[in-house]
Amino acid sequence: MAMDAGMLSLPEDCIAAVISFTTPRDICRLSSVSSLFKSAAESDVVWDRFLTPEYLSVISGCGSSSLSMWSSKKELYLRACHNPVLIDEGKLSFWLDKRSGKKCYMISTRACKIEWGDTTIYWNWISLPEARFPEVAKLIDVCLFDIEGKINTSLLSPRTTYVAYLVFKPTGEEYGFEDCPIDATVGFVGSEGRKQTIYLDTDRGLIPWDAWEQVDHVPWHAGLFNPGEPITPSVPEEEEEEEEEEDHVFYVPSVRGDGWLETELGKFFYQGHEDGELEIIVMENLRLHWKSGLIFQGIEIRPKRSR
Amino acid sequence: MSSSIASSSSSSSSSSKKEKKISLKTSDGEVFEVEEPVAMQLEIVRSFFADNEDVTEQTVMPLPNVSTAAMHGILEYCRAHEEFRRRMPEAAPEEEVRAFEAGYVDRKSNEELKEMILAANYLNISKLLDFLTGVAAKRIENKSVEYVRAFFGVENDFTPEEEANLRREYEWAFEGVDED
Repeated sequence: MAMDAGMLSLPEDCIAAVISFTTPRDICRLSSVSSLFKSAAESDVVWDRFLTPEYLSVISGCGSSSLSMWSSKKELYLRACHNPVLIDEGKLSFWLDKRSGKKCYMISTRACKIEWGDTTIYWNWISLPEARFPEVAKLIDVCLFDIEGKINTSLLSPRTTYVAYLVFKPTGEEYGFEDCPIDATVGFVGSEGRKQTIYLDTDRGLIPWDAWEQVDHVPWHAGLFNPGEPITPSVPEEEEEEEEEEDHVFYVPSVRGDGWLETELGKFFYQGHEDGELEIIVMENLRLHWKSGLIFQGIEIRPKRSR
Repeated sequence: MSSSIASSSSSSSSSSKKEKKISLKTSDGEVFEVEEPVAMQLEIVRSFFADNEDVTEQTVMPLPNVSTAAMHGILEYCRAHEEFRRRMPEAAPEEEVRAFEAGYVDRKSNEELKEMILAANYLNISKLLDFLTGVAAKRIENKSVEYVRAFFGVENDFTPEEEANLRREYEWAFEGVDED
């Protein structure tokens, strides 16, 4: 039985119920459909789903921003995306990915294990106004370059392909990183991580970063590479493919919206029930020549852009 | 037969007769004789019988917002869930429920889906409403504004300027949308 389309218009609460099962990106786009959709897309009922209890407890614990200060749940959500908060005694920076609502973190370098990190002739701890953390690590001079970060997987959003990035900036007096391949490994503790080659020098050109909105950048490469494929560790066929690809791929820095640089360290898929820790290792232990002049803010973990 | 156990556990409603049926009349005048435990999944029906003492077994409850077509779909879903519940009262057989739901919804056109959402909303069947709205969400994910207008049969009631402003505000949400 053919129905006249106009006859069957859903009321606002049904529209709200439908769009609350999509993503924040869909919801924001669909507010252009009609005034009814706009009203539904601004309702608290829709945004409640994306304000996880963890997030609410974090911001209510921050003191500065009480929940009642926010006129709507949507406003609160957007704040959670644009204003990272410090958690875990300032070791982690936490925010939500605006498009998907998934949880993002930056592990401060203070919370990382840095080889020689406490020896002042090799590394210094400085504070910078443009950093999220009270202290960041300034590389004075090392031969063995080794930064290792860990994060508990229970903090992550399930069924998500995450990408890890090293966030840093040059002092202007850097040396030793030009044409210096560095190994980056990302994986769950206790299983073998995936290794890829990265560079931290900006001489081979920077990938432009379009103020946080940039779609996943395509890395510089000498062979074929499909950046859209998520890594699924449990499927062996895919793993083989990925490894073959990665022989040809290396990653170079891009400029972030906040002025820092970032280099991709690797991807991983979190299903949601693997308990344990995710480990990220960045290391140069082959050439062992002197390297200097970069400032490291932390290791960022955010969902891969699926579209 | 074995229905004595079932009827004693659901004896909250007035009558003690087993295999009690409830009559529901759709907008186009068709009367459905529905088994009581199935009909009671419709919250609007449950509260109608709970709140009205003078209703009898002969009472036909009118449902002016539900078409016959939608009623067929709703009853198919509710009967299947009643069957799952009867077979496994402790915990629903998840795999089977999912397989049933997937097959059930694959056969529904967008128009039928919308009609059923409307009916499930009016009848206040929260489980079915959650399920159907989730299905509709999957069908409109990453689709263009124009596609969604057509999907829901919604008129664009913005002025060109209002719409342009909204699109500008959420520019980031428009990249990489599926082609219609």
